[in-house]
Amino acid sequence: MTAFSSLLRAGLKSNFGLALLVHRLFKEKKDLWLGVLIVLAVIGALPALYYLILFLQNAYFLLKPLGQESALLTLGILAGQLFILLFGLYYVISAFYFSRDLEMLIPLPLKPFQVMTSKFVIILANEYLTVMIIVLPVFITFGVLSGGGLSYWAAAALIYAFLPVIPLAIVSLLVVAMMRIVNIGRKKDVLILAGSLVLIAAGLAAQTAMSRYSGSAGPDAQAMTAFLASPDSLLNRIGAGFPPSIWATKALASGFSRTGLAHLSLFAGTSLLLLVLMVIISEKLFYGGLIGLGEIAAKRRALSQVQMSRKISSGRRPVRAIFVREWRIMNRTPIFLLNGVLVVLLVPLIFILMAKTGGGGNNAFLRAVMTSAKPFHMILATAAFMTICGSLNGTSSSAFSREGGQFWISKVIPVSARDQVKAKFMHSYAIALLGILSASFAAAFFFHARPAVLAPAAALALAVAFILTAAGMIIDIARPLLDWTNPQKAIKQNMNVLLAFLADIGIMTALGLTLNFLFKAGLDGSTILAVLFAVLAALAGAVYRILIVFAEKRYGEIEI
Amino acid sequence: MIELTRVSKSYNKGRIRAVDDLAMTVRPGEIFGFLGPNGAGKTTTIKMIVGLLKPDSGSISIEGLDTQKDALKCKFLTTYVPDYPAVYERLTGLEYLNFIGDVYGVPKKERLDRIDKWLELFELSRAVANPIQSYSHGMKQKIVLTAALLPAPRVMVLDEPLVGLDPRAAFHLKELMRQHCDQGKTLFFSTHVMEVAEKLCDRIGIINKGRLIACGTIDELKRLGREVQSLENIFLELTGS
Repeated sequence: MTAFSSLLRAGLKSNFGLALLVHRLFKEKKDLWLGVLIVLAVIGALPALYYLILFLQNAYFLLKPLGQESALLTLGILAGQLFILLFGLYYVISAFYFSRDLEMLIPLPLKPFQVMTSKFVIILANEYLTVMIIVLPVFITFGVLSGGGLSYWAAAALIYAFLPVIPLAIVSLLVVAMMRIVNIGRKKDVLILAGSLVLIAAGLAAQTAMSRYSGSAGPDAQAMTAFLASPDSLLNRIGAGFPPSIWATKALASGFSRTGLAHLSLFAGTSLLLLVLMVIISEKLFYGGLIGLGEIAAKRRALSQVQMSRKISSGRRPVRAIFVREWRIMNRTPIFLLNGVLVVLLVPLIFILMAKTGGGGNNAFLRAVMTSAKPFHMILATAAFMTICGSLNGTSSSAFSREGGQFWISKVIPVSARDQVKAKFMHSYAIALLGILSASFAAAFFFHARPAVLAPAAALALAVAFILTAAGMIIDIARPLLDWTNPQKAIKQNMNVLLAFLADIGIMTALGLTLNFLFKAGLDGSTILAVLFAVLAALAGAVYRILIVFAEKRYGEIEI
Repeated sequence: MIELTRVSKSYNKGRIRAVDDLAMTVRPGEIFGFLGPNGAGKTTTIKMIVGLLKPDSGSISIEGLDTQKDALKCKFLTTYVPDYPAVYERLTGLEYLNFIGDVYGVPKKERLDRIDKWLELFELSRAVANPIQSYSHGMKQKIVLTAALLPAPRVMVLDEPLVGLDPRAAFHLKELMRQHCDQGKTLFFSTHVMEVAEKLCDRIGIINKGRLIACGTIDELKRLGREVQSLENIFLELTGS
């Protein structure tokens, strides 16, 4: 076995923790309930998947008579690739530069490109799983509805295999170059954060510029007819922000015809080319950006009595102390900050950009609802938007896992589990609040939502976020991931974050079904809102109570 | 006072017995040294005393309070230093100490006086405003020790506290341990350094394969051997296969 394949095998095993999981499940017969939990979470998310497929099916039959159905594929591929482009950044920075196994790997007789490529392949494997939720429903729905033969499914497998390579290679190249530049001086963390934000901003700006460049169909009926009459015009317009998605669509829609093969070659060739480029660049730049990154040089100076007195508090205030600790650690750990606070600020920004540039498909529907004349629908849509922006981050579902090896401190300090959970809840909820606030700002200024819509929507979102925050914490305390060596594992590769995400979808779908039931019962808008608030308040109280009781039990049981 | 009554703990569904029917008492005003080969059950015992692990059977009490039934009260009386200083690296030394002061409820004046005194002693005054991430292993160990001293606890439990300390800091720590017990308080610590145990401890317990095989003062332990010998020789004789 070559050094590279050994490295890769060890990395994959450690990344997925399969050996440990098999040992715990089948040898120690522990965590068997985890399987049950996963099944429950998947069942919870099934209704959402059903509605997604229904939506895709409707969109297919809408686009088919216009000859534009391939645009659906572009949408799925583009969504998957943009997701990797935007969020892969944290992933790459963390895996390439902040995993602690690097301290062990650097002294080994391995070439920099071998270390980096092995890490790249591990991220790639993770991305296959992540984009599965976005891309597979589209591929499968399209394949079934279009009656795609063997060539379609073979092309789909190939496209799926290459799908994350281009965005991930682009991100890796940018990150390696950035880290080589910022790995200087004392303020490395700040530089890394600033560099990441610049990269994200540059990516979004480039996408916006390309979408603008591709032109708009415009409101003119004649232009619209011409636009729709031209084959593949819609997919070209959607994919203009990221042309590889167009190549992949054409390769997939045309199967193994001459056009299909040409586009497949273009897509696969570009992927391979970028991969080779990444290997060459990594050999030159990777270690330069890496060496000494974990070390922090600090200027030593003693504090005066006055300075010391100012920084020291008095008396016993455990909840406040733990809240401040959570806040500081979250905001000072770049990976936690990027996945927590910055995500809740970025998601509304992405929605705004998509809406403004028309880069996506769903946002047109979103905008249509939000500017529709029915205030009740606007309230619900705005509340859903705010909830998504505030809650779809890993803060609550990694609240305990983030402590990692320092959890011993929480076990030995004289603070009850109730108080510790209260402080952690306040912290996670504060992040959700920040997301709801930024979403309110987006809804007010970019989607022109009025205060009469914003106020009840925000109240609804706050109530739902309360439930989702508590649910995320319950999932994390059930089986906190405490033995991580790389902070990314605590938040990005933490199974609890995925389970909580599925649970969130399940809860939101259940709320949607409740609303549907209330609609069908013939109730008017304000009565429905009142009933919804009552249901949410009762649920919030119940879920928070479950969290406290469960955490009190788990704090005693968790052994480290 | 720390009292362990028939405490057992096993791992892997009972296949590995880490601590087996352990019973011992650490009296007030006493420095108790806990010795044993690697994997003998020292850290497991310590973790059970401070509440990181739950005993399978038996009971542990601190100052007469059961660590399971009165967990919170026991935690107020006890501080702990682990064998590896895993602390919040993203906080500054002072923020960490203030956090400990906040959760134990140390009044401001005492907090300032004690922090000032221990930082000076451990030569950390110039580093306390920096993130712990920038500390060396020994400095991290010192900040954990300072945090453990800050609440002036009745009981201190230290797992190999001298590892990583420079000779000056090790000297000061030994002095502090003596002073702590001279005030009628209790100190339980594990070590591999026989000379330290011999010179510092009022009583010593030796654990091997989870069982307490000897417990007493140095003189009492010496009487167990075939002839008058050093603690190191007694240890080797008792724990040898």
